[in-house]
Order: sequence, then structure tokens, then C-alpha cells
Amino acid sequence: MLKRGRGIALSWYGTGYGNGFPDYSVATVELAENGEILLRVGATEVGQGSKTIMPQVCAEVLGIHSDQVHMICEDTREFLDSGTAAASRQTYNTGNAVLKASESFKKALLEEARLYLKLNSTAGLEMADQKIWLPIFPSRKTTFAELASHLKSEGRVLAVTDSFTAQTIGMNPETGEGVPYWPYTFNAYGTEVEVDTETGRVQVLQAWCVQDVGRAINPDLVEGQIDGGFVMGLGYALYEDLGVKDGVIKNNKFAKYIIPTAMDIPTIHKYIVEDPENTAPYGAKGIGEPTMVPVAPAILNAIYDAIGIRIFELPATPDVVLKAIVADREAKAKAAVAEGADANG
Amino acid sequence: MITLNLNVNGKDHRLEIEDHMRLLDVIRGPLGLTGTKEGCGEGECGACTVILDGNAVDSCLVLAAQCEGKKIVTIEGLETADGLDPVQQAFLDNGAVQCGYCIPGMVLSAKALLDKNVAPDDNEIKEAISGNLCRCTGYDKMVKAIKTASEVMQERGEQK
Repeated sequence: MLKRGRGIALSWYGTGYGNGFPDYSVATVELAENGEILLRVGATEVGQGSKTIMPQVCAEVLGIHSDQVHMICEDTREFLDSGTAAASRQTYNTGNAVLKASESFKKALLEEARLYLKLNSTAGLEMADQKIWLPIFPSRKTTFAELASHLKSEGRVLAVTDSFTAQTIGMNPETGEGVPYWPYTFNAYGTEVEVDTETGRVQVLQAWCVQDVGRAINPDLVEGQIDGGFVMGLGYALYEDLGVKDGVIKNNKFAKYIIPTAMDIPTIHKYIVEDPENTAPYGAKGIGEPTMVPVAPAILNAIYDAIGIRIFELPATPDVVLKAIVADREAKAKAAVAEGADANG
Repeated sequence: MITLNLNVNGKDHRLEIEDHMRLLDVIRGPLGLTGTKEGCGEGECGACTVILDGNAVDSCLVLAAQCEGKKIVTIEGLETADGLDPVQQAFLDNGAVQCGYCIPGMVLSAKALLDKNVAPDDNEIKEAISGNLCRCTGYDKMVKAIKTASEVMQERGEQK
């Protein structure tokens, strides 16, 4: 028999290294010779989108288009280390370093403009579209390209480096006091499943993923992270089993270690919740890992809703689910017999 | 050593190759087309997918010697003077790419499907790419991208 059920799960997740470990990121913003911006950041792009959003943050500060910011993150001779692309930390931690470096660079560039335009002060100077001008006396104006060639003629390079260290306090092992992580990311996911009680096979039909992101700097990338996290969680819940026995991995190939294919995915409804975090770059928090956390419990809760049986083992493969169904049936039969005996006795 | 005649991305090649070479080895080695990736090397992941006489195949499971006189399309062969193939463009427009390792194979499986069936439904799309494993994207945006490409190709077909 096919039985349907729905389940939800909620999670909160501290991003960054945490526990008082120094979580340090650094960025350098530089004026290139052609007036475009070089952003030197040791944030590894592994497909999550750091090379897209770091230039977005920098461009926002400088009032230019993100295409005019060239991020260099491939060659370790070209930038300082901003730590691992791990712990869901690059958006918040390195994003903050990029924000600070961009703001410091903006100040330094305005100071260069002041000198170049022979002004008393940078007060009232406007910056947008690679131009800098004084609205109260608009003929005093220059461009990024003009400043770049002026700097070059003087044999100078304008490059500003700034850093960000996250604020966490290690937990006291005796009292548990501390602030192990900051910030936290929240989410609430729901799933609808169909359980085949003859075979134990579970299929996820639909998913609803409500994800707090602080601020979605790039909504397309946020959706991509939700999709990816959900489907990895789906694999964890229903398919993926290393089969470690006596220290040896039994399922050491894709023929045996089953990850979801396109045919296993449900319709994924995605909802982005924006509640800006005040210590974050434009309010944005990391969601890389959090998107995976509530998936397995939401699926297991849906299985319970469908068949009234709790599964306590992952992955909930057909054999595991079927075993639980049979055990439940036998337990109920025994109870009925015992009840009958009681009634007769 | 054997002599192998192949048409790859519209160009004829005459190659001297080792008898035991897989199609994948010829593509990445002598032909230097490294857009085709080797993932598992045993036909499970689809990263090495190419189009062989119109069908998407795992090039790690095909002996090069079996391909005498055949036509092969790799990811490098999709872009034309008119620009990217509709499937490539749709993957970009839909943000259907994350780390990118599976993408050449994924795009070619989609292309092979749409060349045979320009208006597939969701299940046909999912089935066509079910031999291509992706760990990052969760497939959702890929399915949408292939639908977008299907619509573009249908419009172009009507215009012709």
C-alpha cells in the first residue's frame, strides 16, 4: 500500500569556525591601471558563488557595476589567505573583510581625488559609475581611469587591505558559558513523502524550504545552495551508506554508494527569508551547511506521519523501513494476542 | 598500435592509437579536448559523456577502436559562430551550474535528448540526465534549464 505523510523540521546553525578560534579574513582592493578595480581575496570558489558575491559587495560600496570588479582568487601569490571555504563562513566572514577593505579603499580613493582636484576636503565628494565629482561645483570632477593614470605617472599604486575577525567566545568547559558562534542561520523545511508498505521504498514528492539568509546578496545563488543542500540531505536520509565494516569502506563506488539522481528529486519550493544581521556585510549570512541540516528529520517525520512508525536508522533504505514495518506489525499482533488472552482469562 | 578514423566536432581525424585506449583517453589525450571529464571511470557518474552518432554515451566505457568512422560531439563542439548552444545558454541563464565538473556531460546528455525529442516532459528530462551525477546543484535548476533550451529550440524550429 502507498501511504503519504508530511513532516517538518527546524534548525539553527552557527556559521564560522566558532568557539573562540580566531576566524580571520582579509581582502585587498586595488585600482587597476585602466580604472577598473582589482579585488584580491583568498576565498576559494568551489561553485558556491564567492567569486560572484565578493565583487558584488565591493561594487556596492564603490557605486559601480560588479562586472567592473575583477576578483583574483586562484593564485596564492596574488592575495592574502582568507581561510577555508568551509563552515559556511565566506559570505559573512570574508564578505565583511571585503566590505571593510572596500570602504577603506573608497576613503583612500576620495583622498586621491581631493589631491588631484586640489580641494580642501573630501567632504561632499560623490562617487558613482567610476566617476568622482563635487556636486556644489560640478566642474571639479575626475574618473577612476584618470586617477589611475595620474597615480601611474607618479609611480604609485593605490591598494588598500583590511581584515575582519569574527566575534566568538569559547565555551567554559565547567559552566558552559560563552558565545561559541556568531551569527546563527535559521531554517524550517517540510517534506511530503510516499511510503510503499510492501517494499519499504520511500519517495519524497515535495519539499518546502524556508531559509533565513540575513540578506540574499544573490538570490539565484541562494536558491542553488538550497537545492544542493536539500538534495544532499535527501541522499543522507534515504540512500547514502558508506558501509564501514572493520574500518573498511564497503560501498566505495557509485554503483554501491547511491547518491540522488535527477529522478529522485521532488519539487522543491524555496522561500528566502531576509532578516538582516547587523554585523554582516549588507546583512548577509552563510547558508552552505544549514541547508542540509533539517532535511533528514523532516523526511523521517514525514515517514512517521505516513505509517506511524519511527525510523531510528539512517539511511532509511527500503530494507530498514520494511524491517521496521514488519517489527511493528509483529509487535501489534503479539499485543492483540496478549490482549485476547487477558480478555479470555 | 592501430589507425583510427574519427569525426570529432565536425572535423576528420586520422590517429595512431594504442589498441587498449578508451574513447575518453583519445579525446583527452591525442585530441586534447579536456572539457570531457573523467569521474569514476566505470560508467556510473556520466562526467565523461559525449555524443556518439547521436547518442549520449559514457566515453570511459567505449573502446576507441569501436569508433572507427563514427561521429563524436564533445562539449567543445557545441558552440557555433552564432554563439553558445541553446542548452549551454540556458544552463547559464538558469544558474544551473555550481562547481561545474558534471556540466559538460550533463549538457551533452540534454543536447542528445533535445536533438531527438525537442519537447520532452519533466520525467523525460530527468530520465535523460539520470546517468549524470551532480553533487552541488540538486538538479532542479538543470531541469528548468533544459526546459528553457527546449522552448528556445522549438521557437527556432518554427522560425525555420
